[in-house]
Amino acid sequence: MIRMSTRHILLGLLASGPSHGYDLKRRHDERFPQARPLAYGQVYTTLQRLVRDGLAEIEGTASDGGPERTQYRSTEDGSLELARWAGEIAPPAPFVTNEIFAKVVVSILSGGDADAYLRAQRAAHMQRMRELTALKTAPGADLATVLSADYALNHLDADLRWMTTTAARLTTLTSEVDAA
Amino acid sequence: MRADLRLAWLLTRGSDRREWWRIGLTALGAAMATGIGLAAVSLASLDGYYSVSVGSGLLDSDSDRRGVIFALGLLLIPVLGFLGQCARIGAVHRDRRLAALRLAGAAPGQVRRIAALESGPACLAGSVAATAVFVPLWSHPTAPAWAGFALVAAAVPVLGAAVSALSLHRVVASPLGWVRRVRATRGPGRLFKSVTWLLAATLLFIVVAPVFSDSFAFTHGPLTLIVLTLLISFTAVWLSGSSSRQLGEGLAARARRPEVLIAAERLREDPWAAARTHAAVLLVTVVGSGFVGVRQVLLAELHTMRREGHLAADLAYYTTGIDLTATAILVALALILTSLAVGAAESLATRRRGLAAQAAAGVPHGVLARALLLETALPLAPAVAVAGIGGLGISAWYASVATDYIVAPVPYAALLVPFAVYACCLLAAATSIPLLRRSVRPAELRYA
Amino acid sequence: MSNGDSPDSTAPLLAARDLTKAHGRTEALRGASVELRTGEILAVTGASGSGKSTLLHCLAGIVRPDAGSVTYAGQRLDQLPEKRLSELRRTDFGVVFQFGQLIPELTALDNVALPLMLAGSSRKDAQTRAGEWLERFGVRGQEALRPGELSGGQAQRTALARALVTGPKVVFADEPTGALDSLASEQVMTALVHTARDAGTAVLLITHDAQVAAYADREVRLTDGAVAPAGVTA
Repeated sequence: MIRMSTRHILLGLLASGPSHGYDLKRRHDERFPQARPLAYGQVYTTLQRLVRDGLAEIEGTASDGGPERTQYRSTEDGSLELARWAGEIAPPAPFVTNEIFAKVVVSILSGGDADAYLRAQRAAHMQRMRELTALKTAPGADLATVLSADYALNHLDADLRWMTTTAARLTTLTSEVDAA
Repeated sequence: MRADLRLAWLLTRGSDRREWWRIGLTALGAAMATGIGLAAVSLASLDGYYSVSVGSGLLDSDSDRRGVIFALGLLLIPVLGFLGQCARIGAVHRDRRLAALRLAGAAPGQVRRIAALESGPACLAGSVAATAVFVPLWSHPTAPAWAGFALVAAAVPVLGAAVSALSLHRVVASPLGWVRRVRATRGPGRLFKSVTWLLAATLLFIVVAPVFSDSFAFTHGPLTLIVLTLLISFTAVWLSGSSSRQLGEGLAARARRPEVLIAAERLREDPWAAARTHAAVLLVTVVGSGFVGVRQVLLAELHTMRREGHLAADLAYYTTGIDLTATAILVALALILTSLAVGAAESLATRRRGLAAQAAAGVPHGVLARALLLETALPLAPAVAVAGIGGLGISAWYASVATDYIVAPVPYAALLVPFAVYACCLLAAATSIPLLRRSVRPAELRYA
Repeated sequence: MSNGDSPDSTAPLLAARDLTKAHGRTEALRGASVELRTGEILAVTGASGSGKSTLLHCLAGIVRPDAGSVTYAGQRLDQLPEKRLSELRRTDFGVVFQFGQLIPELTALDNVALPLMLAGSSRKDAQTRAGEWLERFGVRGQEALRPGELSGGQAQRTALARALVTGPKVVFADEPTGALDSLASEQVMTALVHTARDAGTAVLLITHDAQVAAYADREVRLTDGAVAPAGVTA
């Protein structure tokens, strides 16, 4: 899973106005449908750290009929930090943990069927891509869903392309691995 | 130059069958041009009175020979048109090939040389063949005649190569020549319009002049005929071009059948293309129907004169001249029809990918074939009608002038010509229909 | 065998068995077998030259295989006369290629109306229905434009409307998005999939793009003119 800065995402959600913890979690899950849902506990601890670092502060407590909730809002420093983070480029990953490649090499080393593995992996990737495509083409899918599904689809597609070219060069790879 | 020659040879050798068609037909056209040129040269080399064994005495005297040479010169026009049409075979592919050469780094001059070398040898072959057949027929040619033969035999291939190099200026200019969208043919330029107005003015002068002077009447007959013929043909071209768009639009809006719709929309999209291809058809219709009418009047007149003993020479002397003219017109018609068939086949070849897609989508062959025929038939109908009426006008005018010995009949025979020409054109266009089945191969679906 | 009334989910609508087909010396298909069920969207993928297009041409009755059989709704397509095949392509099948299927001189509206006119509809009725289909595919306001004036995506959606206007049982799409960018490609594929699902039309989709193949229910991979063994899904 892609590691995202929960701190900055919560700051971003607070930028549109004061909000309480439960509301922040709900809005997060709505905005980033393909991301892992936030645990409430994680929201709570992150908010406390933001307050400690002076990036957010407590606005007050409110209870509209239900249980009492603490409202948070972003500070000036919080806005500055958010702007800095949002403008900073994400470093292109220097190493990609490529489990598929490792499995192909291991299966060559151990005399397994790398080609059959790649076919099965391909089928699994395609199955996931079909699910994501169905999700994004479902009537009434909102743009956030479409975009996050697209992000995942493009990454799976990149894996697939790599698997296709690798499958076509397995013979050469096998002789290279065996020779070493 | 050696490298260019080798490239031209490699390109020709590796090309498909259509390229060999182009080479064969170009050689044939060149052979005809050379033959006509040689005949004209050998006639011109005669001086004074000869008794020539062929032609019923038509080739014996100097002035008659001049007329025959002039007629041969006129016959060169359809032959050259035919050569031009041959250059269009495979034009799309040649354009791409040469543009690819440009992209690969060939200089414009080099591409032009290669193009010239691709068609020059074909013309040379035709010219050599014609010379080899023709010259032995001539006993004891004089030194100037030899010079003339050599000039004609050399000029034809050089001209052919020059024309093909010239026709490629657009491709040569841009390495991306083949990317260009096939644009609609432009309407006639300023030159065409000026010439038409000039012809009209000349005709007006010829018609009006006798009013002011008595001595102007029939002496300008042949000139008047030529001016009138050209004017009518130009008008017919203009008319067919400018009416095609409206005709296409009108028909497309009302079309109920798919083939009419397709043909009408093609016409609307590119009205001048048809007009250009059909210009020669219209010229031959005017000349043909005019000639048939004049011939009818002339023969009636000659027969009357012979009965009354007014004929200066043998009747065969006159009829041979008429028959020779008829032959020349028929040869011209045959050449024009061949050009038309070549043009139809080429247009089919250019569009074969789209046609293959239509066939794959289940559009029946019959619909595609009928659309193809209608594309020729629709624009030609009004133009041939105008040309035919013009030809009838010419012969009627001649009949009204030639009233010395007979009451001239109304030359209705002239009316048959436009119908005959129209039918021949449809047949010529129909020759491409067997190609349709071959063109719509699914293999065509795979390429852009 | 299908018993005619209710579409039997086990009997395929279109089936090819052991197809071989050579273009000159190149063997495009070497014993390919594939099945398409009613309303199913099947992607055929594979490298360039793996025989995808030839397989589509055989299944759509555009070319005859050298050996093997193609069965559509109980009829052997490889044995039908060309006239009947052409009729079948007009009534039961629809085709979409990468480009070139629209007649450049006809307006978008007339291009879509053409199959209906060929089937005997009047020009007016054909145009009315064609207009509805163009609207469904989001080519509104462009009815009077000609293919050269449409964007690539609009032209392909017009081509889809043309393929689907007669209510075919099977649509054959050969790289329908091959010349499009990913956004236009997404619009074309969404339009195709939604319409096919609504109408219960089966789609045979040829593509080399996994993201396009993911719109299908199932994938068949061709390698060297035959169907590659399916991966064993864990």
